[in-house]
Amino acid sequence: MSAEQKSSGLVPGTLHMLILKTLALEPMHGYGIGVRLGQISKGVFQVNAGSLFPALRRLERDGLIAGEWQVTENNRRGKYYALTAQGRATLKRETKDWEQQTTAIARILSASLGEL
Amino acid sequence: MPLLTRVVGGIVGLLRRTRQEQELDAELQQFLDMAIEDKVRAGMSREAATRAARMELGSAAAVKDGVRDAGWENVLETTWQDVRYAARTLRRSPGFTAVAVVSLALGIGANTAIFSLINTLMLRSLPVSHPEQLVELLSASPGEPRTHFFWWRHYEHFRDRNQSFSDLLAVARGRFQVGGAGLEPETIDGEYVAGNFFTALGVRPALGRLIDARDDQVDSASAASTVVSWSYWTNRLNADPAIVGKVMVVNDVPATVVGVAPRDFFGLQVGMSPSMWMPAAMEPMIQRPSRRMDGTLTVGMLGRLKPGVTIEAALAEMRVLDRYRLEDMAKTRQSAATVRNITIDVEPAAAGFAALRDRFATSLLVLMAVVALLLLIACTNVASMLLARGAARQHEMALRVSLGAGRVRLVRQVLTESLLLSAMGGLIGVALASVGAETLVRIILSGREFLRLQQRIEIQVQPDLQVLLFTATVAVLTAVLFGAAPAWHALTSAPASSLRAHGAAGETRSRRLFGKGLVVAQVALSVVLLSAAGLFVHHLSNLRNQDFGFERTSLLLVTLDPSKSGYPREQLFSLYQNLLGRLEGISGVRSVTLSGVTPISGAGASRFIKVEGFEEAAEARRYVPLNWVGPRYFETFGTPLLAGREFAFADRSGPSVAIVNQAMTRYYFGDRNPIGGRFQLVGPSNSGITGAPPDQVYEIVGVVGDAKYLDLREVPPRTIYLNAFQEPRMLASRFALRTTGRPGAVTGDVRRIVREELKTVPVADMTTMDDLVDASVVAERVIATLSSFFGVLGASLAALGLYGLLAYTVTRRTNEIGIRIALGAAESDIARMVLRGALGLVCAGLVIGVPVALLSRRAASRVVTDLPADSVWPLVLATAAMLAIALVAAYVPARRAARVEPVEALRQ
Repeated sequence: MSAEQKSSGLVPGTLHMLILKTLALEPMHGYGIGVRLGQISKGVFQVNAGSLFPALRRLERDGLIAGEWQVTENNRRGKYYALTAQGRATLKRETKDWEQQTTAIARILSASLGEL
Repeated sequence: MPLLTRVVGGIVGLLRRTRQEQELDAELQQFLDMAIEDKVRAGMSREAATRAARMELGSAAAVKDGVRDAGWENVLETTWQDVRYAARTLRRSPGFTAVAVVSLALGIGANTAIFSLINTLMLRSLPVSHPEQLVELLSASPGEPRTHFFWWRHYEHFRDRNQSFSDLLAVARGRFQVGGAGLEPETIDGEYVAGNFFTALGVRPALGRLIDARDDQVDSASAASTVVSWSYWTNRLNADPAIVGKVMVVNDVPATVVGVAPRDFFGLQVGMSPSMWMPAAMEPMIQRPSRRMDGTLTVGMLGRLKPGVTIEAALAEMRVLDRYRLEDMAKTRQSAATVRNITIDVEPAAAGFAALRDRFATSLLVLMAVVALLLLIACTNVASMLLARGAARQHEMALRVSLGAGRVRLVRQVLTESLLLSAMGGLIGVALASVGAETLVRIILSGREFLRLQQRIEIQVQPDLQVLLFTATVAVLTAVLFGAAPAWHALTSAPASSLRAHGAAGETRSRRLFGKGLVVAQVALSVVLLSAAGLFVHHLSNLRNQDFGFERTSLLLVTLDPSKSGYPREQLFSLYQNLLGRLEGISGVRSVTLSGVTPISGAGASRFIKVEGFEEAAEARRYVPLNWVGPRYFETFGTPLLAGREFAFADRSGPSVAIVNQAMTRYYFGDRNPIGGRFQLVGPSNSGITGAPPDQVYEIVGVVGDAKYLDLREVPPRTIYLNAFQEPRMLASRFALRTTGRPGAVTGDVRRIVREELKTVPVADMTTMDDLVDASVVAERVIATLSSFFGVLGASLAALGLYGLLAYTVTRRTNEIGIRIALGAAESDIARMVLRGALGLVCAGLVIGVPVALLSRRAASRVVTDLPADSVWPLVLATAAMLAIALVAAYVPARRAARVEPVEALRQ
């Protein structure tokens, strides 16, 4: 948990979900995941290696993602992570939960007396 | 999250650690390469890009650490790492480790040994169903140890009338001569049991069935049945699987073996393992004369409380039912007065009959307190050593913190070290304890109480689960106790300052105070222990060196066994007379006599007496101890003859004569001259020994000094001595020889002469009065020896602690001492400074320890009777010893401080 909190601007506990989402688009190696997260969030989230690799290890151990060594676009060997079926299911569930929560939170934050 | 995946993943991770590490390295390298390339592509130079990427990645080690931390398996691994690291650290300072482990092993071992004895003798529940429901009935008369002995007819009364117990069972001791079934004839210890014995206890047979109500109703010897114990079955019957149904001969009566008791059932009393159980109904058939027939078979009673019945309720009912017993006893003893103060008691008996518990509770509790003190001293000692080491290791700790080690991890590391130490101490301790407990049991069983018992006593102290749990708990508590301070210091160590400053500045005031406090505590605890030890030694020497009323040294005691000699009693008297003459002829023997009772052997005989001219109310009447002694008895024993004469062989044909002691004279005759006074023995004998016929009149011919009779601890009672050669029904076969040198030197001659004079009379026992005295103070000896040993050990540990602290202080202050010497301080000033510091610590310890010692002394005198608690000597000696030990411990550091070379010291 402490490692995740160190990542700038990330809501605690969401890193796992974001990694899963990134990998849902296409299999990716560690560096690529970090870059992709930065790109998609338009630079809001900077995930450093100290947070990323422990998270990957946890997801892999729990069977949500699977790593495989492949040749990269630059002709090097790299470890590519891909979602497993279980990971896909987890992502779907967590996304739904997250949307419900954020909707609820947004509703509370925008609430005015008149709506009650 | 599916737990299984997580667990499996973790295990796979543990197994494939190396490969995973390599993969992780490769992955990080890939990460770095890609980052560099990205930056180069964005226009950075390769060096700048490499540097930036490295900074972004941070410490690769830290990242890897984070990855490793991600899994639960990591906890196992880091723990293992901690243990390995701790082991390495401890191996690097073998001196410290050895001292710590040995002191912990002694502390934990001593506690385990005593606890395993307490567990065996007092705590362990009987292997029966619901032992917590069991209670025993006890009879208590003032001034005597309570017993669980009742008569069979009292048992029947209680059994048939009580409402409190779902079952009340009875058990009586028996000695059986067994044979048949291909057995060597032998005499074994067994028990007669009521028919409900096994069913009430809920014991299940290992083989066949156990005795039940059917067996207790038979009235013909042809239907006799018996149950054998597991150990008898395996050791004597070769674990014969077809034993059930076979016939053994018990006291000439054929008895069918109906079953074997389970392996763990040893009866109802720890230490007495009966080999065989017979139904009580068989007693009249195999025992002659029978005591069950007239209802006076001695039984112990155990009841199982009905659900909802409290002990108090049961006790109230028993008190009512007990009237029958008291009236019965009053009738048989012909005196209501002696019975009046007898009460009945009901006590929990989950661990069986209380006899052994009662006998050893005090000693064991005292010892438990002593060993607990020892363990505390060991703890403080190890704590202070760890603390000193902690100071030396501060540099290392600070380095590790700055390299990124978490504080929690450091504390864990330090605690792991403590646990490792106490685990090693505990393991060695358990080994020591099993040896120690066995030795202790052997010593205790060498006591007079047990030598006198016919029954073989075996106490097996196996370290069972409870003991191991106790030890583990003690070890962990110990580790926490002595590891807490160093761990706390690891937690609060300030890396920056201690890295910078070497030594002195890193030393905080609180730590210094704490270190001193530990030494003070050790001194205080040691003083308590030493003064307790002194007290027990004092008590023992009081008991041993008191005036017994006879000379205990150089007195050889020889007991003959004429029971199977074939000589008629009349003939034995003259044979004994000849034997006395021959024994006197041995060179090195000053005088020889014989007696019916050996003083302080714990056995004796007593009768009511009626002195002519002395009116005495029935209630005031007391049993008067008797002894039958030969001529020269008082000369041989060294008891002063105050008036009149000793017995002579010639009395045999004359009127009955007696010699009395001073206590007797004072009570019955006051200032009058007792010589020529006359008395009668009245009432039945209260022992198995049958004495003179009632109404025999004795004339007093001598007065002797008071001497101990039954026991060392008693005030010499009024005692009557009769002439052994005048008592046709009483045969005195205990010979006593006063030797000029060591008694052991004449034993060979004694055996030879006995063999020559009386071929068929074996020597049953040969011992010395000194040995008998030792045997009767076994409990006191054990307490005194162990507490002295532990006291010295504790004091040595305290000295070690003091030495360590002083040596460390001197090293730390070398600089300052150098300046002092440079400024003109003399060697003696410096030495005095160190000694003063040491004395200050010891005095602080004494200030705390002495009041505690006084308090604990009072507590001890409450449980140990006759403890000389008012004596100041133990405390004075303990204090002096502590001061002396402290000076010795301070000597080396003081000398080293005085010899500091100022130039060298300043250069450091």
